[in-house]
Amino acid sequence: MSIGKKLLLLVGVAAVVLAALLVVQYLTPKADIVIGGKDFTEQSVLGEMLAILIEENTDLTVERKLYLGGTMICFNALQAGDLDLYAEYTGTGLVNILKHDAISDPDEAYSAVKIAFERDYGLVWLEPFGFNNTYTLTMRRAQADELGIHTFSELAAHVQQQEAGSGEHLTAGFTAEFIERSDGLKGLCETYGFQFATEPKQMAPGLMYKACADGDVDVICAFATDGRIAAYDLITLEDDRKFFPPYYAAPLIRAATLARYPELQDVLNRLAGKLDNRTMQELNLQVDRSDNPRQARDVARDFLLSQGLITPKEQ
Amino acid sequence: MNAIAKFFADYGAEMLQSTREHVILTLIAVLIACAVAIPLGVLLARCRFKLLVNIVMGLASIIQPIPSLALVALTVVLFYLINGLLGIRLLATLGTGPALVALVAYALLPILRNTFIGIRQVDPTVVEVATGMGMTHRQILFSVQLPLALPFIMAGVRISTVWTIGVATLVSLVGAGGLGDLIFRGLSSYKIHLIMAGAGPAAVLALMLDWLLGRLEEWLAPSGLRNTNPQ
Repeated sequence: MSIGKKLLLLVGVAAVVLAALLVVQYLTPKADIVIGGKDFTEQSVLGEMLAILIEENTDLTVERKLYLGGTMICFNALQAGDLDLYAEYTGTGLVNILKHDAISDPDEAYSAVKIAFERDYGLVWLEPFGFNNTYTLTMRRAQADELGIHTFSELAAHVQQQEAGSGEHLTAGFTAEFIERSDGLKGLCETYGFQFATEPKQMAPGLMYKACADGDVDVICAFATDGRIAAYDLITLEDDRKFFPPYYAAPLIRAATLARYPELQDVLNRLAGKLDNRTMQELNLQVDRSDNPRQARDVARDFLLSQGLITPKEQ
Repeated sequence: MNAIAKFFADYGAEMLQSTREHVILTLIAVLIACAVAIPLGVLLARCRFKLLVNIVMGLASIIQPIPSLALVALTVVLFYLINGLLGIRLLATLGTGPALVALVAYALLPILRNTFIGIRQVDPTVVEVATGMGMTHRQILFSVQLPLALPFIMAGVRISTVWTIGVATLVSLVGAGGLGDLIFRGLSSYKIHLIMAGAGPAAVLALMLDWLLGRLEEWLAPSGLRNTNPQ
């Protein structure tokens, strides 16, 4: 076969292959429900719980898109319809998305976001799971005790001394999102009137805890329900000026999806109030621990079984 | 051995699924890039308007210096902003849509530039001889220029493919799946075996595709025949 003919043959084959791939990619039936999750363990556990609940209690098919790059990616995708559902936190909805001032009463905060989201975005907040996964400032217990730091104000005072040259040098490690959000670093420093002497190090949420435990950084914006706070003997400082709003987690779903599949409301509300801070920490730790860690979907499934929210499969 | 068996029992299905997603994305991106860049490269190589050539090559070159992560991020946010401006959800803000746009953009330049150089470097004497023999433009393109430019074009395609496999690990951040899913999870949870579950297949894929493309080049134009000495 001449080269010219071979080239033509190649072009033909390539065209067919491309067409086939595009068909596979875009024409295979999409799942009924697409569930999203942010880039940390708890979101994977919650995402799997929601997914498994739907799969086991309805006829709907579910696709999981977990470990997405942050709140805005999830929220914008939800608005646009590329996601149907994900677990969001009331404080995040209030301060970060709606750009309102913080409300310290949890019920008020929940009502505020519920009303605003439905009115402005066509998104529905279902019943909260029960836990408050607030941002915290967390340090190694040993260092906190040694320096006598147990509240945010004490930390602020210490950092100011550090600025003046007399305090021990403390470094901070925060997530990219925390550094950017108004309910994050900026607002915190304004409310407590301090600034870290050295730029906080930026890192993925899952890496903060070990970094703190190992002494690579001293202060982190730990998530309250992360199991590693207890496991690594870290201590959460008290937010004495109540800067952080409550962050009660609940399923956030498109009104359009709920209208199309109304059975979802009951199914997803079965998790209402079933997860307190302690329980969520424990579940998260099962995935995050270094000794025999489990997968998020197994942890989620076992929890749902233990609560009788799904029935065990016949062996 | 038991640990390895357990590892594959736990993650095998996921690895297969992620690899499948990754391969599909990479192939679609590279094929589209070839479909655009090769004809464009040929056209530019034969074009006499220097300004036009410089403009097009310049535009394509702007994309390359943008770090791949930035390009993926830019595409997603750009689509979101465009949707906002138009007031309707025209473009997907998540998933393979924006991911493919970024991947194709990245895959274009190596193929375009190499095709251009490949055609341009063909000895004009050979083309003259072919014209003298009575060959049409199309015959000259397919029987003389492309075969002689082939090593360059294939080099571009190979570079582009290997590169795209790497960049495609980042699209996990925007919900497009792929082997990046495993890598990011492994990073966030300090589980090195998860990272390897993602990185391993990616490396193997790159090697395999590169080798396959080498075989393809051999089939198209066995080195023995690629003799530019006009007998």
